[in-house]
Amino acid sequence: MSEARRTLSRLIGALGVLWAAATFTFFVQSTLPGDRATLILNQETGQTIERSAEELAPINERFGFDDPLLVQYVDYLGGLVQGDLGRSYQMKEPVTALIADQIGPTLLLTLSALAIAWVIALVLTIATAKRRSSRFTSAFEVLVAGLPHYWLGVILLVVFAINLQWFPVEGGTGLSGLVLPALTLAIPLAGFLGQVTRDEFEKVLDQPFITSARARGMSDLGVRLRHALRHAVLPAITLSGWALGALFSGAVVVELVFARSGLGQVLVNAASSRDIPLVSGVVMLVALVYVVANLLVDLAYSLVDPRLKTA
Amino acid sequence: MQTNSQTGRRASALAALAAALATLVAGCGGNGAAATTSPAAADAEPTRGGTISYGHQQEPPCISGGWVEQAYISRQVLDSLVSQVKEGEIVPWLATSWKVSKDQLTWTFELKPDVKFTDGAPLDADAIKTNFETWLNPKTINGTVASYIGEYYKSSRAVDELTFELKLAKPYSPLLSVLSQAYFGIHSPKALARGVEANCAQPVGTGPFVIEEWNRGQNVIFTRNEGYNSAPANAKHQGPAYADKLIWKFLKEPAVRYGSLTSGQSQVIYDVPSVNWEEAEREYEVQRYTTPGRPQTLTLNVTRPPFDDKRVRQALAYALDRENAVKAAFGDSSEFNGNPALSQTTPNADDDLAGAYPYDPDKANALLDEAGWTGRAADGTRTKDGRELKVVVTYGAGSIINADGATLLQMLQEQAKEVGFKWELRPLTLSQLFGGEYAKPDKYNAVPGYWTSPTAAVMYIVWRQSLPDRPNGSNTAYYNNPELEDTIEAANSTLDPTEQRELYYKAQKIVSDEAVAIGLYTRTSSLAIDTSKIRDVWLEDSQGEPVFHDAYLVR
Repeated sequence: MSEARRTLSRLIGALGVLWAAATFTFFVQSTLPGDRATLILNQETGQTIERSAEELAPINERFGFDDPLLVQYVDYLGGLVQGDLGRSYQMKEPVTALIADQIGPTLLLTLSALAIAWVIALVLTIATAKRRSSRFTSAFEVLVAGLPHYWLGVILLVVFAINLQWFPVEGGTGLSGLVLPALTLAIPLAGFLGQVTRDEFEKVLDQPFITSARARGMSDLGVRLRHALRHAVLPAITLSGWALGALFSGAVVVELVFARSGLGQVLVNAASSRDIPLVSGVVMLVALVYVVANLLVDLAYSLVDPRLKTA
Repeated sequence: MQTNSQTGRRASALAALAAALATLVAGCGGNGAAATTSPAAADAEPTRGGTISYGHQQEPPCISGGWVEQAYISRQVLDSLVSQVKEGEIVPWLATSWKVSKDQLTWTFELKPDVKFTDGAPLDADAIKTNFETWLNPKTINGTVASYIGEYYKSSRAVDELTFELKLAKPYSPLLSVLSQAYFGIHSPKALARGVEANCAQPVGTGPFVIEEWNRGQNVIFTRNEGYNSAPANAKHQGPAYADKLIWKFLKEPAVRYGSLTSGQSQVIYDVPSVNWEEAEREYEVQRYTTPGRPQTLTLNVTRPPFDDKRVRQALAYALDRENAVKAAFGDSSEFNGNPALSQTTPNADDDLAGAYPYDPDKANALLDEAGWTGRAADGTRTKDGRELKVVVTYGAGSIINADGATLLQMLQEQAKEVGFKWELRPLTLSQLFGGEYAKPDKYNAVPGYWTSPTAAVMYIVWRQSLPDRPNGSNTAYYNNPELEDTIEAANSTLDPTEQRELYYKAQKIVSDEAVAIGLYTRTSSLAIDTSKIRDVWLEDSQGEPVFHDAYLVR
């Protein structure tokens, strides 16, 4: 297959993923029990009651809820093709503007978490693999990999922000406000990445080419950094594509705990008020993140493992 | 402590843990400065300038609208026609005086002269007329405004530049009280013309602050309206606000909100977490506002068994030791409110109804026997003709009912079980709750709910009959009693305070006697204020909106 054709089929695949995400979200959200117009009216007044047809008519008309579902879907897709994600039912603003507004803090949070997780995982692996402390560190990694974000976030918050006052309690936009939220996401992920890398790293250290490198008189650290590491990080790179998507969902909780703005909060609010255009917009964005992350993983693979370039 | 509180949700346990840790630290002497809450505060000369940092809780989807969470924010930018102070007394605000015709169908308001909206438009009678028309236009409707005055409103007219006339279809004596709520805050007509979308995020009024920026998910930043000259008569000072800026932050997590106060990132916070209540009272100034209107009540659906039988409804009221359960679940952060129709702080609330159904399981059992629920299933649930005495209680978890409220419902569940009820708790998500699906009469037997309001007239919204040609979704008991409706309507129509009181009392007694709702607790708003940093923040009286116009920073 030629390079161009492969790129094209990848692009089509990516578009397919986005389309599927939009379609799935649209139909699930539209067919949940309960009436969307009632929901909008009730949320505008803080009430939770049944509404009369008379009250609902203007809202149904404004949002086109009376049209057959298929017509609404085609309308929605038509907008998507032109880059129009629609307008939020609740917040009345265009979805693209709301997302553009909120994506910065979330990307900053998830990417820093990913970077920190990698640093922690690599340092732990290189320092302890195949050494006496390996088993202890490994157990520690398993433990932190299972920590729920909510719990960890509250503990970090109470100890380091409220108690020791090393960091601000509410995140804000500054760098010091980013530390605790990013650590909350990074620590469990570091445990996860560390486990995978350690397994691979210890296997590699048993390989004959390691022995021969040592026979050439290379130092232990040199062997670990120059030879073993390159092999051992491959599974963790694969996982990072998935991890970036997972960090987005983790961000939902962390943004809430640390009162940060970001897509997570927007998604929670939108989903709980069945704000279809907004939910679909965010879901498509997350799908896009997955797609891009996997492309990047492929790219990183061929950089780390030159054998794949010719394949 | 009650053992059944073990069933509390994990989230609240974590919040308690967080608070306990925080308390521990504060106890170690981190907070000495804040403890010097001196009564000398009142003597200090207000200083100008600075930024107020306020930690609020919920963030609404729009800043203006008909939800109390919107009223809190819009109060900072919109002024209303009148303001309410204690016991329903009304004082001037944008209206300097008013009168009502003998037949009570024409209200005339004189407006304050030389007031301008912050977009430059003048405040005149036409502006007020535009507001009323916009609130009630089906395309731009404010549902809360409509539920108060929709049935009563006839027309509005600008008599001259500063004289506004409101015509009603029938007499409505609580009108001024109703108008004092921030839902009735006056917008610039020029701003209203921009449409629903623009007014959602950027309402424009004559108020003490202007919205500079809304960082969704984080805060709203207000700047001072330099030309402010229309504070209500009950404000502590006239003229522009003292502070340059107000940062209104959304801190939903209780530990963060309280931590923001203890760490000095906020000078004032809203909704003091009940686990921190004692410490807050020791270290800070705590203001508690008990919301008037309909208290948090358990409303019983009378359209289906078992609550179609008055004896069963009364039996449930006797079976619940509500007073002690409320104390155990809320501590000092909310109070028991036995009156099922009105909160104890509402003008014309009948305090005697609090004791109408004392805790009396024997009486409850006798009533249930009498109603024919004499059989018993294996688990002790009463039965009648092969049917179990089962009641489904739906509630908005984390919204209408907070974590403490959920604990209370679980305690009541245990108590109801003692006399043979099988009480099924069904928490609803926001979308289930607001979507109306679970508001249908066949979906529940009992549902908790409240309605913040400065007047007893709120009973007309809650208890007006729900008839096929005139549905009333707010009547969640689906209880249609013409006598009750007529009594409330008559009370709403009289200007004679004594007669009005008697009629409102009579209406409350019907609700209580028929046991169509069971009073639980008062909904409270609270502020914790670090008075070493800020003074003169207050909660206004119509629905407890925090007021920052008078607040100044301590230097």
